[in-house]
Amino acid sequence: MAASRSDDRLPPLVWAALLTAAALMVAPLVWTLLLSLKSNAELVGNSGAALGGPYTLENYGAIFGNSSTMRWLLNSAIVSLGTTAGVLVLASLAGYGFARLDFPFRRSLFVLVLLGLAIPSQAVILPQHQLFATLGLHNSYPGLILPGLIGPFGVFFMTQYMRAIPKELDEAAMLDGASRFTIFWRVILPLTIPAQSTLAVFTFLGSWNDYWWPLISATRSDMYTLTVGLAASQMNYAQTSGLGFLMAQAVFASIPIFIVYIIFQKQIVRAMAGAALK
Amino acid sequence: MPGLQLRNIRKAFKGTEVLAGVDLDVAPREFIAFLGPSGSGKSTLLRIVAGLETSDEGEVILDDRRIDTLPPGDRGVAMVFQHYALYPHMTVRENMAFGLKNARVPRAEIDGLVTDAARTLEIEELLDRKPAQMSGGQRQRVAIGRAIVKKPRLFLLDEPLSNLDAALRLRTRVELAQLRQRVDAGVIMVTHDQAEAMTLADRIVVFNDRRIQQVAPPMEIYSRPANSFVARFVGSPAMTIIPARLADGGAFASVLLGNGTRLDTQVPTDGLPGSGAVEIGMRPEGVRVCGQGQGTTDAEVQLVERLGERSLVYARLDDGAAITAEDAGTTSAKVGDRVGLSIDGAAAHLFGPDGTGYHRAAA
Repeated sequence: MAASRSDDRLPPLVWAALLTAAALMVAPLVWTLLLSLKSNAELVGNSGAALGGPYTLENYGAIFGNSSTMRWLLNSAIVSLGTTAGVLVLASLAGYGFARLDFPFRRSLFVLVLLGLAIPSQAVILPQHQLFATLGLHNSYPGLILPGLIGPFGVFFMTQYMRAIPKELDEAAMLDGASRFTIFWRVILPLTIPAQSTLAVFTFLGSWNDYWWPLISATRSDMYTLTVGLAASQMNYAQTSGLGFLMAQAVFASIPIFIVYIIFQKQIVRAMAGAALK
Repeated sequence: MPGLQLRNIRKAFKGTEVLAGVDLDVAPREFIAFLGPSGSGKSTLLRIVAGLETSDEGEVILDDRRIDTLPPGDRGVAMVFQHYALYPHMTVRENMAFGLKNARVPRAEIDGLVTDAARTLEIEELLDRKPAQMSGGQRQRVAIGRAIVKKPRLFLLDEPLSNLDAALRLRTRVELAQLRQRVDAGVIMVTHDQAEAMTLADRIVVFNDRRIQQVAPPMEIYSRPANSFVARFVGSPAMTIIPARLADGGAFASVLLGNGTRLDTQVPTDGLPGSGAVEIGMRPEGVRVCGQGQGTTDAEVQLVERLGERSLVYARLDDGAAITAEDAGTTSAKVGDRVGLSIDGAAAHLFGPDGTGYHRAAA
């Protein structure tokens, strides 16, 4: 985008409104950060103490002092990255199939996939738990990753994106002697990179923040993800007597998300703007 | 037999027939244009040759090898698509090398072939660009380059010039003509632009209504159209075709126009249909505007198109038949004028009740 010209400048009133809105959005985050930098003892009496010094990193020290935290971080990374990779592979392959291959019941199957979007995960949690228990998959990485791979949205998203790629490219590649797989791998897939990165970011964020399924599936502390682990390590009266520590945990858990957001800001904004297909 | 042979190609889409048994022989190194209106089956036939569609019946034979059973990449044909279909994420070099890589041509050889083709097309400086960084004309050249580099035995061009603006289209047409002198392969070009077909092709195949209407060199298509469809479709403005009746005559047919005007043609009477009802066809250049009462017949001017070096005068005979005539660029004819039309009977064509064309004896 070209540098903003003077006549593009916002009127002062709009500026003020935007600033106010932004401040309202940021305030809880800043409050969280400030609380995390105060000792628990100081906050018990008056959480308003967070507004003034002295600040300390002792709560963060406590997080790292818990030897399990690094393990949970690793678990979260493995599960989130594994889920993301799996979703990309499956959604791309399925999307290519729906967008390009001609097979019986293609339409009906696609509708079936779309119907999957309408089923809340809560509705299937009991049978899912039962199934994973029977398969002996609880407390394992596959157990944490597999449910996340069921991604009707990803399939739908990739199908629509691939449908928008001109078929002439496939035909040109066929005349260039490319096999079906070469067409997928060398021609279509590289053209879906914008969609892939958007899908990757959303899948990663969703998986990283997921609390419910890991809470059910990972019952052994060494298989906790960060969200479950941090929640489990809270003391009984954390809301009152461990406020600083609680907030430090929240900040710590959101750091990776923050990093992902900074790196993929463009994709996220584009996806939110609904312009990912162009 | 070298070259391309199509034998009884039939194709239907969901029960709708689009090709009703097409036979065609293309000589090696021949430039063939498929010309016809939309939906006439010309593009489908090209795609069947390319292997992008399968025919329901028939055989495609290229240089003595049946190719309709082979995948597109193994047929020895290369295609230039209407919208270029360059791979957007690859550079020009990669676009051109893609087919060779798939054919497992050694890397060093690929580089040589790509460089040669780029030099021929004068696109060397574009080799490291991506399609989005090029103009339409440049993309077109790259698309041609991608086809050339494979050294196919047959080039298939699907309306290759239709996406270019008028000036570039003319230039590229000339370049295509020069290019075909340099490649050792046949060319089939689909077009609905008759000027392209006339200027580029050795022979034109005119399609209509699921069938080939005529296969002939451009001038023969123009001067001896096989039927009234070809006569109307080729030539701009279209040939005037009006009903007439055969009059008694000698070796050459004479006809009476609807308004009673008698016209002596040079179409031999031999072979003409027995009954008297025919149609007569006249190109505008065979009908000149002259003073009222001085020509073959009189007519009323409906519209005058001034094209600069000449004018086209659309007129109507007394019986209502529309006829297109030519006049000088400085014509004084105006809408509503009564003018004389001098019809050159030697340039007239006759069409039988079934549309079959009859022409003066070949020179």
